[in-house]
Amino acid sequence: MPRAVRGLLIECDPSIKSMILKYDEERHDYIVEDLDDENHLVIKESQLQNLKVRLDQVLTAP
Amino acid sequence: MTSATSRPLEYLEGLPGTTFYKLYQQPSTALAIFRRMLPDLVNVAKCFVMALLYLKDPLPTADLEVWVNSESKKERDNALSILGRLHILSTTLTGDNVRAYMITNPFAASLRQALTGAEDSHSFGVFSQAPEHTLTSITDLDEYARRQWEGVMGYMVGTSALSGQRDMVNLSKGVKQLLQAGHLVEIRGNRVDITKDGFGFVLQDVNTQVWHILILYVESAEAIGMDSVEVLSFLFLLSSLELGSSYDKSHMTPNQLRTLMDLADFGIVYQEHADATRFYPTRLATTLTSDSSALSNPVTGSLTGPAGPSGGSGSGFIIIETNYRLYAYTSSPLQISLISLFTNLKYRFPNLVTGKITRQSVRRAIEMGITADQIISYLLSHAHPQLRKHSAAQPNGKGVPASVLPPTVTDQIRLWQLERDRLRATAGFLFKDFTSLAEYQAPCQYAAEIGVLVWKSDRKRMFFVTRHEQVAAFLRSQKVGGK
Amino acid sequence: MPPKRKAADTGRSRGASKRATPVPDIDISSDDDYSDHEELPEETNLKAVVNKFSLEAFSKKNQVEKTDPRFGYKDLSSLPLKRDHYNRPLWIEPLKGTITLESFSPLAPQAQDFLTTIAEPLSRPTHLHEYRLTGHSLYAAVSVGLKPQDIVEFLDRLSKTPLPESIRTFIIEFTKSYGKIKMVLRHNRYYVETTDPEMLQRLLKDEVIGPQRMDSTEGIIERAAPKMGGLVIPGTKDAAGVRETTQQEAAAAVARNEAEEGGAVNYGIDDIGEDETEEAITYSFEIPAAGVEVVKARCQSIGCPALEEYDFQGDTVNPNLDMDLKPAARIRSYQEKSLSKMFGNGRAKSGIIVLPCGAGKTLVGITAAATIKKGTIVLCTSSMSVVQWRNEFLRWTTIDPGDIAIFTSDHKEKFKRSTGIIVSTYSMVSQTRARSYDAQKMMDWLQSREWGMMILDEVHVVPASMFRKVTSAIAAQSKLGLTATLLREDDKIKDLNFLIGPKLYEANWMELAAQGHIAKVQCAEVWCPMTTEFYSEYLRESSRKQALLYIMNPRKFQACQFLIDFHEKRGDKIIVFSDNVYALERYALKLNKAYIYGGTPQNERMRILENFQHNEQVNTIFLSKIGDTSLDLPEATCLIQISSHYGSRRQEAQRLGRILRAKRRNDEGFNAFFYSLVSKDTNEMVYSAKRQAFLIDQGYAFKVITHLQGIDNYEGLSYATPAERRELLQEVMLQNESSADVEQVNDDLFSMRSGKRVTAKKAGPKRSAATLSGLAGGDDMAYIEYNKSRNKQLKDKAGHHPLFKKMERDRQRRKKEREMEG
Repeated sequence: MPRAVRGLLIECDPSIKSMILKYDEERHDYIVEDLDDENHLVIKESQLQNLKVRLDQVLTAP
Repeated sequence: MTSATSRPLEYLEGLPGTTFYKLYQQPSTALAIFRRMLPDLVNVAKCFVMALLYLKDPLPTADLEVWVNSESKKERDNALSILGRLHILSTTLTGDNVRAYMITNPFAASLRQALTGAEDSHSFGVFSQAPEHTLTSITDLDEYARRQWEGVMGYMVGTSALSGQRDMVNLSKGVKQLLQAGHLVEIRGNRVDITKDGFGFVLQDVNTQVWHILILYVESAEAIGMDSVEVLSFLFLLSSLELGSSYDKSHMTPNQLRTLMDLADFGIVYQEHADATRFYPTRLATTLTSDSSALSNPVTGSLTGPAGPSGGSGSGFIIIETNYRLYAYTSSPLQISLISLFTNLKYRFPNLVTGKITRQSVRRAIEMGITADQIISYLLSHAHPQLRKHSAAQPNGKGVPASVLPPTVTDQIRLWQLERDRLRATAGFLFKDFTSLAEYQAPCQYAAEIGVLVWKSDRKRMFFVTRHEQVAAFLRSQKVGGK
Repeated sequence: MPPKRKAADTGRSRGASKRATPVPDIDISSDDDYSDHEELPEETNLKAVVNKFSLEAFSKKNQVEKTDPRFGYKDLSSLPLKRDHYNRPLWIEPLKGTITLESFSPLAPQAQDFLTTIAEPLSRPTHLHEYRLTGHSLYAAVSVGLKPQDIVEFLDRLSKTPLPESIRTFIIEFTKSYGKIKMVLRHNRYYVETTDPEMLQRLLKDEVIGPQRMDSTEGIIERAAPKMGGLVIPGTKDAAGVRETTQQEAAAAVARNEAEEGGAVNYGIDDIGEDETEEAITYSFEIPAAGVEVVKARCQSIGCPALEEYDFQGDTVNPNLDMDLKPAARIRSYQEKSLSKMFGNGRAKSGIIVLPCGAGKTLVGITAAATIKKGTIVLCTSSMSVVQWRNEFLRWTTIDPGDIAIFTSDHKEKFKRSTGIIVSTYSMVSQTRARSYDAQKMMDWLQSREWGMMILDEVHVVPASMFRKVTSAIAAQSKLGLTATLLREDDKIKDLNFLIGPKLYEANWMELAAQGHIAKVQCAEVWCPMTTEFYSEYLRESSRKQALLYIMNPRKFQACQFLIDFHEKRGDKIIVFSDNVYALERYALKLNKAYIYGGTPQNERMRILENFQHNEQVNTIFLSKIGDTSLDLPEATCLIQISSHYGSRRQEAQRLGRILRAKRRNDEGFNAFFYSLVSKDTNEMVYSAKRQAFLIDQGYAFKVITHLQGIDNYEGLSYATPAERRELLQEVMLQNESSADVEQVNDDLFSMRSGKRVTAKKAGPKRSAATLSGLAGGDDMAYIEYNKSRNKQLKDKAGHHPLFKKMERDRQRRKKEREMEG
């Protein structure tokens, strides 16, 4: 039965996607669906800010 | 240069032909448009106009086209096109059925009048008869203009606290309304928040800013019961006035008087009080349609440029080095707060502010809604003469002019902006678990047709939409109808 | 035994240090060659002296300048502007002593000259330069003879605002103590000398120094302060017979007139004296040779460290060395300037000269030796440099080959006659382990003599403890330190001021490039995105393995390949640098290029280098760390860096120096190219930014290349297919953790430290293969993941690596899909 799942479509480059996948391994609370191409996936809406902050910390030079 | 002319040009081009007809009744308007709207084209357009202006008969197109050599065909066509859009040039058929160009009327008549100074049409303003010694000096006018203008900017950026040294400029309701109407600020009760457009605005050079305000004013004129064409004509008139002279108000229409008052708030004109018999244009007005580079506006330069013998030329005052350090010769609270939007400031001397552009400071700006391009164009329009001199002196093998700002810095600012865009998020719904390809394709196509489809994968049989209700409804109707 | 000149702070003799080698530094970020963690007693003395050298100590009394709450800047806007401020080129900030200079001002050239003498250059790009006034820089200033009053005058005249009180106080107070006392060796006798009568009294009354004064018929000697007088530095304009003074004066006068006509005011700065004037009188008294160390230590402890000067012209005891510069040796203006600081008053001052790589430091050392003409010992960082120095001496001077000898592990020679030059390495001379018989004999001989000058090459690399050993082991009357960068990631550079002497001169990189003495370089940072597989692994790995992953990134490889091809086609000579030997080999072998690393035998090295220089077919070579200093390569025009040592600014500058000699010009106005390849989104980017900091402050701009033009169309790129990349990844993951380390080059001082760090850690890879089904055909599997260690695998509660979980999930899903379809 087809269904619709709410979420945020993320479009990014492969490195970012790898990092998100890695974060998700911790508690599986980020990813709604891994869309299987290098640049897209769907995450929980509530997690966007959290994710951005984490990525920022890692990507920004101290 | 182009940014300063293109907005008014764009605006004019958007006007209907009838408006032009009315506008061109005024010699001052014709002259202003002639001087101001056409400098982009290396004066090719101006040449055409001047050549045709005094001809009795239309000139066959073939004859005109011959004037320009083949390499400059593009410029020629561009010029002809603009002249057409401004309803200055039109084509007609001569007696022998040959296509010919002519300058339209009333533009031609008005321009001729403007050039020869014939007839006292009040088109260029009437000098006031007040005695010389009572005239407000140019220095005072500049000071007034600067104070008012910076007051408006400061209001937008929220630096009223800074100008504590001078009297706080009290902005009229009209100004605030205009800023709001133009989406430059958002006013919520006592709070004033600058918008993204507002940031772009404050970072532009003065000339562009003034035009922007004026166009906003014309656009909102109708709303306050004024004829926009009359207002526009009046603006062109103001632009052709002489700095330092005062003009008589007695022949002005109520609309014109009203406009004067509003413009005084911005520092574009000055009058001692609302009922004064005369007014003065300030530099903000008189340089509107001048040919000189928009960047040498001394209004911003008078206190901010390097004073002394070398200070007269150019108002650029910012130096950016290849090591990202910034040095700005200014003591203007407004400029300092603008610079601090995207720079980490370190020291402030009496005539210099120093700091560094860092990833942190640029990202801070980007978070606020400022774009890399806005930052770069601000730096460019306020670039110190030393930077220009240096880039002019660079050897360039390919005839490409060296850039004024260090390319590594501008590239990096853009890259820092890109960093932020590494992740784009769209809220919506993922449709999945379709049992067959066909089952998936129909709603997917439907979603695309109604414009809500953001992503899809035929292989995975999934798609993502921004809104789900219609697609869901579609699916339901399918089920009922289909299987 | 002849009296020795020792380092200022020796209280101990050699060999007494508690530990033979420094403790490794775990923190990566401060890992730059050396950070010496021993705290010997003499160090604390040193520290105390160093700490006194701060402006903060002097300015604490003043009110704290307010920091603007809104914008965070220090608000100095209340300082009054002088009326003609636009003519004056300086702003002086009183909190940190930062001086900002308008380099486009007509007075800039004089200002620049003066500022480099009294302040540390911080950044010198195109338009506005920044300097900082510190204790060290003032110390250097007074050591070349500048008077505090002159410094104050100069700054005040050129500053847009009146000279801040705190700065004035700092300068005056500071110079009351530092630079007042000189220890002079003349006619083989030692004198304590000062120009200040008050200081003289103080010294005479001091309980330690006073008694040292020898009773002699001379009493307190008064004489005119020494001047350059008839001393001619070989190779300079003087030596060429041109009447320097009149010509220069004439030129200066013309310049001045022109400037004045142009409306620029001079403020009389040319009149401010630079070296000691005629009226200065010095007071000195003799002390016995045995008392020298005592007096020096005492001077330091009372806060007035003594400057050392060697009056070599008056040295009749030590034999003269028969050596002159050959006429072909042309000394450039900046080399001359630096030497004039050293010999300004006719004596040899000890200190450090800083010149960019490729600017001719060696020649400066050689010229100094040819000026002093006494026995000289030269210390280098590796035996290769030793050979080079000797060759340079032979090339540029008339010295007899028998007068210059080498002391390395392979060669132990002495010079034939009574005096000469010895070239050796720091390690040879400072060894604490037992030496071989021959080596010991050499050392004894070295120590038995008195040397006129000790030249210390690449002085910034040597740790303080090694210095002490070296300088206490060998008696040299004057010491000259040479280096391209006074940078170290730790702060020990300040100690050098006391161990050798103050900084005598520092050149301006951009200026030298503009004058054509060093190459103009286009610097670029090429961003190479990591492939997905490599990146996922990178995210999981420990930091050591991570390095291997971002170096072996296939996209980086491709970029390297592309750039090599591009530049070879342009006719460039290319050097590719890699600190990591594993990567070096893989890259070089894959691209079929020659490579040199520590393990390459000497003759093979020479062969490869010869070919590189002269063979048209050999245009690219790969070098390991060994290329940083030990090899002399004048003709490279393109440098590609694929791996580097964390955030070392010094290394970046040094590498650039390898191509700074490039002479060929091309259209774009750049002589040479420097590419730093970094893998995007990895730590490498962070290190890269740090490394470039120094060069950026010298005025270099690093262009960021996010995409190489034309690489997409390039045929024959390696690792173009996923299969190849997978294979590479597997191979990389199989590597030992130690493969990820930076090379240790045994003979080279630079790598000794990191070398020790490697052996300190445990080695041993741990890996376990996952199932092969993934590779075989699972379309969701792009690669096999290797676990780093048992521990990590066990920690995962489910007992499954997340990868397995994913595999499981996917398998389930596929199963379900099949079911649904069926």
